[in-house]
Amino acid sequence: MHRYAFLLLVLAASLTACDPEPVGPGGREPNDSLFDAVEFPVLGHGTTQERYTAEVAARDDWAYTSTWSARGAIQGNAIKIWDVSGNTPLLVDSLIVENAATLGDVQISDDGSLLVVATERNNGSIVIYDRSTDPRRPVRLSRHMSDATRNTGVHTVKLGRVNGRHYAFLSVNPGPPRLVVVDITDPANPVEVLVKVMGVPFIHDVFVRDGLLFTALWNGGLTIWDIGGGGNEGADPANPILIGNVQTVNGAVHNVWWYHAPDGSKRYAFVGEEGPGSLGASSTGDVHVVDVSDMAQPHEVAFFHVPGAGAHNFVMDEEAGVLYAAFYNGGVRALDVRGDLSDCEPNQRNGDRCNLGLMDRQVGVGLHNRGVISIWGVAKVGDVIYASDMLTGLFALDATGLRAR
Amino acid sequence: MLRVVIGGYGPLQVWCALLLATALPVRGQTHDEHAFRLDVGAQVLPLMTHASPALAGDAMTEAYLTQPMLFVHQQWRGVSAQVTLNLEGWTLERGELNAGNAGEGYVDRRHPHTFLHEAVLSASAARGGWSGSVAAGRGFVPFGTDDPMARPIAKYAANHHLAQILERWILLGAVRRGPVIVEGSLFNGDEPTSPESLGRIERFGDSWSARVTLLPHDALELQGSHARVESPEHAPGGGLDSRKWSASVRASHGTLYGMVEWARTTEYSGDRRAFAFASVLGEASAEVGAFRVAARFERTSRPEEERMGSAFRSARPHSDDNIIGVTRWRIATLNIARDVRLGDLRVTPFAEASRLSVEEITGSIFDPDEHYGSSNHWSLSAGFRIGAGLVHSRMGRYAVGMPSH
Repeated sequence: MHRYAFLLLVLAASLTACDPEPVGPGGREPNDSLFDAVEFPVLGHGTTQERYTAEVAARDDWAYTSTWSARGAIQGNAIKIWDVSGNTPLLVDSLIVENAATLGDVQISDDGSLLVVATERNNGSIVIYDRSTDPRRPVRLSRHMSDATRNTGVHTVKLGRVNGRHYAFLSVNPGPPRLVVVDITDPANPVEVLVKVMGVPFIHDVFVRDGLLFTALWNGGLTIWDIGGGGNEGADPANPILIGNVQTVNGAVHNVWWYHAPDGSKRYAFVGEEGPGSLGASSTGDVHVVDVSDMAQPHEVAFFHVPGAGAHNFVMDEEAGVLYAAFYNGGVRALDVRGDLSDCEPNQRNGDRCNLGLMDRQVGVGLHNRGVISIWGVAKVGDVIYASDMLTGLFALDATGLRAR
Repeated sequence: MLRVVIGGYGPLQVWCALLLATALPVRGQTHDEHAFRLDVGAQVLPLMTHASPALAGDAMTEAYLTQPMLFVHQQWRGVSAQVTLNLEGWTLERGELNAGNAGEGYVDRRHPHTFLHEAVLSASAARGGWSGSVAAGRGFVPFGTDDPMARPIAKYAANHHLAQILERWILLGAVRRGPVIVEGSLFNGDEPTSPESLGRIERFGDSWSARVTLLPHDALELQGSHARVESPEHAPGGGLDSRKWSASVRASHGTLYGMVEWARTTEYSGDRRAFAFASVLGEASAEVGAFRVAARFERTSRPEEERMGSAFRSARPHSDDNIIGVTRWRIATLNIARDVRLGDLRVTPFAEASRLSVEEITGSIFDPDEHYGSSNHWSLSAGFRIGAGLVHSRMGRYAVGMPSH
């Protein structure tokens, strides 16, 4: 018995000497080619660190950031209000949403009058504020919470107008994942018009434009619906009619932007893939380019990859043909998406897809070498990019360097 | 009579009445192997725990009735049934303070187990030096080491979800020849989502495990096992899959006990490796005078996840595949107990102390000092193990899979 006890001790000592090092996806520092990319200088950094910062929305001299999860004992139940009239975002106030645990998304309506926030996990809902009178002090108009949102939570909300009415499109997770559409034409009295189960296993986000709805359905791919602009009889936001679907490589379809180019082309939708990551240290997921010339048969033609980092939310400067993407620990990346993205040399292809990185389409980068950073979202006002960092708050980056291209 | 108020569990009222009526008078086992045998037992641990710090620099002190369980073992010839009812769904809804422990949506609190903890029917046969068994029902998967409930330390090890797989619908087979036992099983991958949860029977068979046990000596037991678990943390499916490994050496002789184990779980998104977590643990117990002394040393890594509504709850199911860090926990625990007999009751008062240290090891956004207020913690507990009737001395093996010398 003593012999075995000794062996056990030896084994225990040797095992504890081994380092069970965990493995995460990718690496900590991206190592991609940035030689031709413009570096976006930091104009200013507004800090807020008692909560994790999430999404950013900006218009004119004001920006708003939502907050996420619990940081220590403090819940992510605040909307931060920033004065961005100067170079450095200045935190001037906060809105606290009662009984909220996470505010994953914040949006400003197209006319600037409304600020809409999604509450996730507990007491899932959207909260609608009027910012038209005083953007510094948005006035709460309503909170829409229903059986379809309450127990699971609204992950993202996107706003859009269809046939003269204003709608909020809510991606609600988890189980079952569902799209919820709320008529907010009278924002003080929102009316739920649709609850539709979709997503494998999540619905993460949508994009609405010209009466068409693009839904990001994770491993269910990107699905395109007619909600009043696609010519299908009876189609409206309360009755979306399926047009087409595409499964992008690796799945995990997280977000989408349907690009309207200045020359009238509407050929491409950009899809963000959100793979597994340990936020701040590593992330995965590419930007995928989907040709939607034939909405019934969309297909992937190109992608953009950052080693060791993954895509999250993005925004476009459509006039300039630039897509700005948050890349978590990879900072902010700007892609030139003008022209034919399916036309590339053989050495610029991976399989049947063009590699935008090899095509030197990355034209700008910011915040990629600042230690632990996790950029959640980006917004653009004029030549300033606002990037929300989960750990520290809100950066303002100078994008004027791209004008010379 | 114990009143059961869970819908659909009417027959359990009868079970509980039977168990309580027979728990005390039924003792031990008969010597006639052909006789019908029914053994019943019960246990509960009234416990008080002081954790310092528990969150944001604040200590917490809580008291519970933990591990309240009713056991029934039936044996007749080669057929046996094993039922364990666990009532933590009534007594531990908030979870039990247990720093370092995480699983099923609880963080730094141990989750309550399901009411139907085990209900397994086994059939065994032996011939010509071979023995074999088939078992089916709901219970432990043949993987890893014994459940901590049957081990000397009251607080669960942080590696519980790396080292055991339990509360699944199982079909398992075991074969033994001489000192070698081989087990294999099919089961449903999804973890329970609540104490009332019976899992998703439609997912039965999406996961499997295999375990080999060597018994080179009466006092010694070597184990190695592997499991492939599909989407354990996202019950509808589509979440990350787990590939699990375990190896251990267990020694017991009289009142001496020791065990050393290594466990590793790697999570995959399809074929892409996402994360890996590992553990090394050693524990031992011995009688010292009138007392029983037990010690455990552990080094375990775990994911840090989005918190929802409470710092002690994480999102289940997830809404994506990200984590916010990986922490490594080093935990040293000492338990001193003394057995007391009060008629038919076994009463074991005990005191237990743990010293813990935690560090984030990937450079992600989670900061233990910020979250807890310190990287070094104390956990102090005192309570009683109270039991009557059958002692459920090993948990995690059935029929031929149970080592016997």
